[in-house]
Amino acid sequence: MEHGVSTLAQGLVTAWSLVAVAFFALGILAYVAIRRTRRVSSEEAAQAFRSLDIEAFRNLVDSAEEAFLRDNLPPKKFRQIQRQRAWAALMYAWEAGKAATALARVGHVAQRSSDPEIAASGVQVAESAFRLRLQSMGACLHLLTEVVFPNLQSRSVPHLVDQYKRTAETLFRLARFSAGERSLVRSKSA
Amino acid sequence: MNWHKLLALFLWISPHALLGVLGVVLCKRRLYREFPAFFAYVFYEIAEFILLFALYFVQGVGGKQYRYAFCATLLLSIALRFGVIDEVAKGLFRKSQFLKVAARRWLQCVQGFLLLIAVLLAVCAPGGNSLGFSAGIFVVNRGAALVQCGLLIALLLSSRFLGLSWHRPVFGIALGLAVLTTFDLAMFSLRAEFTSTTGKEILNLLTTGTYLVCVLLWIGYLIVPEPEPDSSSLAVLPHEEVETWNTEFQHLLRD
Repeated sequence: MEHGVSTLAQGLVTAWSLVAVAFFALGILAYVAIRRTRRVSSEEAAQAFRSLDIEAFRNLVDSAEEAFLRDNLPPKKFRQIQRQRAWAALMYAWEAGKAATALARVGHVAQRSSDPEIAASGVQVAESAFRLRLQSMGACLHLLTEVVFPNLQSRSVPHLVDQYKRTAETLFRLARFSAGERSLVRSKSA
Repeated sequence: MNWHKLLALFLWISPHALLGVLGVVLCKRRLYREFPAFFAYVFYEIAEFILLFALYFVQGVGGKQYRYAFCATLLLSIALRFGVIDEVAKGLFRKSQFLKVAARRWLQCVQGFLLLIAVLLAVCAPGGNSLGFSAGIFVVNRGAALVQCGLLIALLLSSRFLGLSWHRPVFGIALGLAVLTTFDLAMFSLRAEFTSTTGKEILNLLTTGTYLVCVLLWIGYLIVPEPEPDSSSLAVLPHEEVETWNTEFQHLLRD
């Protein structure tokens, strides 16, 4: 009898928990449906990139800098400083990821351009941006580990910088194509 | 015939009649080439309705036979929904060679995780045992709805995360199916536990009502044409500043 009651109670708890999960999922769906991907201009995407100081980021993840601090600071102070550096670098990586998302949207618009060169460049921009987005996520996780364990020495963040460079190169190429298209329109109208 | 029965019949017939309209839209706009699994699902749902509707009204067909037919068709419907989800995922990632591989891995992980939860739930909470076979089917459907709804939400969220833009029809199909499976998750969780006639009738009305909303969503998204991309925004790209960035990157990486 007691076993039957507990089984029934367990069943009811499961059922209502799943109903709660379903309502939460519906909330996510409503959010996604209402706030469908906002159109981002290339100006906004470039602005997002511009807001990041790559030099400061590189300085924060520089292993030579870290080694210098490790050798010259008492362990407790080193951990404190290192934690702050990792946190600041994490913020940069987070923002780089957001910039990559904006760039991916620009790339998607470019892919549908009637100009085959812009379209091809859009594919490249989007691909680079996707990679950067995923790499930035990996870097965030890596840096978060460093925030928790500041004594860890390994770093794979230069990959992120490398990816950043490739993305900027493709963005530059896209800019050149679109500038070419614009001058073509101007010369036609003249 | 009382109002409750009339409402139940209306909610049973109308979504399937609208599915016929959806089928016509898919044919007219030749979308069956792009979405063969969804096309098959739509026509399967219509055929399933005709079969079950006939069985419901034919004299001599017992409740047990009807239940078996319902369960068998439901299982096939679940399988087809997985096909539609696969189609949606392929449609979303088709333009990126990199994402095709990465996303497939990610979705496999999500699917495995959700499947594990569904199996654990089926073992730990097998549902009320008064209905036997039917309760078992509801538990299976509950697990399938959990996996399908989770996969669709993972797709929708990862597209936001990566900055992927959806084509209008693909988004409509995904959204409609996500709403449907989410409600299925809630309804079949309750049906696996509550076996009273009144509770069953209310849940039936809610299920068919949701189905009607989802079919309307599909029709809406497939009828309205896709807006033209605004490529004018590309012309204002500040290339000089990007060049400065590029030079700066090169300088940094040379160090």
